[in-house]
Amino acid sequence: MEINKIIESGLMETYVMGIATEEEIQKVLSLKKDYPEFRDALEQLEFDMEVLAQNMAIQPPPGTLAKIEQEINEIQRQNQAIQPAKAYRYDDSEGQKTSQERYIEVEAESNQMRINKAWKWVFVAVFVLGKIFLATAIYFYLENRQAQEQIKELKIELKEKTR
Amino acid sequence: MLKAVLNVPSAEPKDIRWFYNQYASMLLGYINGIVQDHQKSEEHLVTILSSFVKEVILQEKSKLNIWMELRQYTQGKLKLFTAKEHHLKSTGTTNKGNLDLLDDLQRKVFCAVYYHGKSISYLAETMHNNETEIRNQLKLAIDKMRRASGN
Repeated sequence: MEINKIIESGLMETYVMGIATEEEIQKVLSLKKDYPEFRDALEQLEFDMEVLAQNMAIQPPPGTLAKIEQEINEIQRQNQAIQPAKAYRYDDSEGQKTSQERYIEVEAESNQMRINKAWKWVFVAVFVLGKIFLATAIYFYLENRQAQEQIKELKIELKEKTR
Repeated sequence: MLKAVLNVPSAEPKDIRWFYNQYASMLLGYINGIVQDHQKSEEHLVTILSSFVKEVILQEKSKLNIWMELRQYTQGKLKLFTAKEHHLKSTGTTNKGNLDLLDDLQRKVFCAVYYHGKSISYLAETMHNNETEIRNQLKLAIDKMRRASGN
């Protein structure tokens, strides 16, 4: 009789709607454990709440499932990128076996190469020398062209004098 | 060059599909009741369902009834909307289900609790009513809708 009163009190409804206080939650969990009729009534209410939600359901547009699957894969990829470093740190004490179970070895190709830092100055020197050679080549080219023009002019003068 | 990568099994597509078929339309209806915007609701549906599957379903962390947990999780994710004062708008896209069966006070109480997670004490204060009355109205509203659904 007492349990029927509790069932009708509205306690189950506040619990199922997610607004019960901590005290009410503990009471519901205790009653659920001790009284099968309370547990049955609660389960029925939870089921009915799903039916109510189904009555208010809206069908998602096509393609939504694909978007969700893509989003989940994206989240997993991000987590995989973050976790390896952490996992190694925590697995140290448990030995190598754990890390072997958690990791697989794959062949990876890198497009980068490693060189000594001293090579930096060599590259700088090559660059500067290249610039100097370029400037010198331009200078001598212009000089040469000017000399050629002067020779031409002299030849013309000489021809005119011989006439 | 050998490189170690984390050996985590990817999410079972079948599980996701089952979960989607079971709850996606219910959740979209629920989100639409909170957000009151169909376009935004669809965007939230993708984000919320994805993170719930990843954080709760695949981790097997769920202790409550799954729909109850999903509803509470959604309320937590949509705090920006649930924190606001609730006004139920009658939009063309909202599927109101059996809400039309409720009288004005019952509908206000039900929607404030169901969609916005407002507590009994908060509603008693803002509606200038006592807590017992609010609790009764909530129970009456749920009973009415359950009866209309044939339960």
